[in-house]
Amino acid sequence: MLRFVVRRLLLLIPILIGLSILVFLWIRALPAGPAQSLLGERATPETIAQIEEQYGLDRPIHIQYWRYLKTVAQGDLGTTIRTRRPVTDELQERFPATIELALAALLFATLLGIPLGFVAAKRYGTWIDHSSLVASLIGISIPIFFLAILLKYVFAVQLGWLPTVGRISVLIDLEHPTNFYTIDALIAGDLYAFWDVIKHLILPAIALGSIPLAVTARITRAAVLDVQNEDYVRTARAKGLPPRVVDVRHIFRNALLPITTIIGLQTGLLLSGAVLTETVFAFPGMGTWLVEAIRQRDFPVLQGGILFVSFVFVIVNLIVDISYALINPRIRVS
Amino acid sequence: MSVAQVEAREVQLEALPSGLWADTWRRLRHNPAAIVGFVLVGIFLFVAIFAPLIAPEDPRSGDLSRLGGTCCPGPSADYWFGLDQQGRDVFSRIVYGARYSLLIGIVSVAVGLSVGLFFGAIAGYFGGWVDSLIMRCTDIMLSIPGLLLAIGIVAVLGQGIWQIMIAVGVTQIPIFARLLRGSILATRESDYVLAARSVGVPKRSILASHILPNSISPVIVQGTLALATAIIDVAALGFLGLGPQDPATPEWGTMLTDTTRYLQTAPHLALIPGVAIVISVLGFNLIGDGLREALDPKFRGRG
Repeated sequence: MLRFVVRRLLLLIPILIGLSILVFLWIRALPAGPAQSLLGERATPETIAQIEEQYGLDRPIHIQYWRYLKTVAQGDLGTTIRTRRPVTDELQERFPATIELALAALLFATLLGIPLGFVAAKRYGTWIDHSSLVASLIGISIPIFFLAILLKYVFAVQLGWLPTVGRISVLIDLEHPTNFYTIDALIAGDLYAFWDVIKHLILPAIALGSIPLAVTARITRAAVLDVQNEDYVRTARAKGLPPRVVDVRHIFRNALLPITTIIGLQTGLLLSGAVLTETVFAFPGMGTWLVEAIRQRDFPVLQGGILFVSFVFVIVNLIVDISYALINPRIRVS
Repeated sequence: MSVAQVEAREVQLEALPSGLWADTWRRLRHNPAAIVGFVLVGIFLFVAIFAPLIAPEDPRSGDLSRLGGTCCPGPSADYWFGLDQQGRDVFSRIVYGARYSLLIGIVSVAVGLSVGLFFGAIAGYFGGWVDSLIMRCTDIMLSIPGLLLAIGIVAVLGQGIWQIMIAVGVTQIPIFARLLRGSILATRESDYVLAARSVGVPKRSILASHILPNSISPVIVQGTLALATAIIDVAALGFLGLGPQDPATPEWGTMLTDTTRYLQTAPHLALIPGVAIVISVLGFNLIGDGLREALDPKFRGRG
């Protein structure tokens, strides 16, 4: 088990190096050139000279890369063009928002998807099964941004049940020590604010969670169908265990393996999807931040954002792999 | 099923050609979901190909005077899908939009598929350090969430139809590369290849009739599903304002961009392009799903 974790950690190194090279080359490939891209339209000869000095842009490319790596490793992602603030400062505000949204979406997807898939498998071949398959296929065929627009139209614009934009109502005054607004509200002991934050999360989370929901339901169904016919399930039934115990201890436990993997694989989709969902709901997270950055040609933000999001993605995949190994007895023992 | 039915089915099975593709096609025809998929994709193809004959108006130019000061008139007998904020006929734009979605979708999947298969085949065939190198490269590409990778590429290449095709295509390269490699590796070691080798089947016919047909079917399934993903990704880029450079281009995703402003008064502006995307994507997904089942050896031979 330890060897597996170490091996997996070592595999991380080439990926992170490759990722940094890719982003490093990307800045140099931008039409305006690196110095201009990092400074924006207000660049003066002095500031350009300063950037060239900082990144050693007149030096050989491998030295440039080394300097770049050192700067990034020190947590310096430059300053934004739009606000002239450090990119990391804005990252600290934006990232928790997206994580909060992604977790809410994941919660929605698993809490609904696993039971749905389980029921579909138990009622294999019935109309419940068929309609769940059709529903999940339609679910993965609806673009996230379209679903987000639909939800917003019905529940926010027409019915007025939920807010249309943002993370929290403007009139609510709340300190933000963590930038996770749900936690901030709980720290402040302000239940009204907490409920307000939740209300702002509901529609974006449903939109973002729709594809993971469909995928989770399908995988759960397939996994349960697979496990159901295993010898150990038959044995458990044969020795007279109550059906519910067999369901939970034998079928569900083992079906959980592929389900965890798939949920982990959804992370990339969640991060991509967050860009679109946040845009529809003007939710101030990583997504809207990056989209604004594209529109304003704010390349330091784009660079820092892509680097950071990919880094998180790689780490999450690592955690998924390790937790998979922890759940799987076959890997755990060896 | 009664005994007589089973027997009739068996007779029927014996009489049918047993080739992989004939078998696949036969079972696809018996899958209602796949048929719905073919119908949806058929409509989509028909509209895309015959767009100039179907669309009553020019999709690019509008007439503001037709709006009558409001935004925007909904579906009517004159304008089936209503008018947009610039007085353009939405029906004509949807019809022409099918062309863009289809063209961009097919070309980007072709880019991803051909480059991906090339590297996947090399990795699977040579193994060793070549394999490791290619796989680490796909790891790196896969570590950037797809849409962000596409955004980054568009930022470098600039906006435009070809740039979108490349951007979306590149995000699909690692998927196809890994798929074919894994598939070749699994097939190479399988029992039936071993069996064929042990009874003295020549290497070339093992490759041609055992390894490739069995390695390629997941690629075909993925190719169909990739078309669905590509259409969504293209629309997503358009929605984010990274679509074709000319904003008058009737691209479905771009058509959705500004509609949230008119949601209250003109929901059809968001609904109609959205439904068009869903229908075409659903079509490819249904076919892909049907193909997967039809090509799965576990199901083969059953009705």
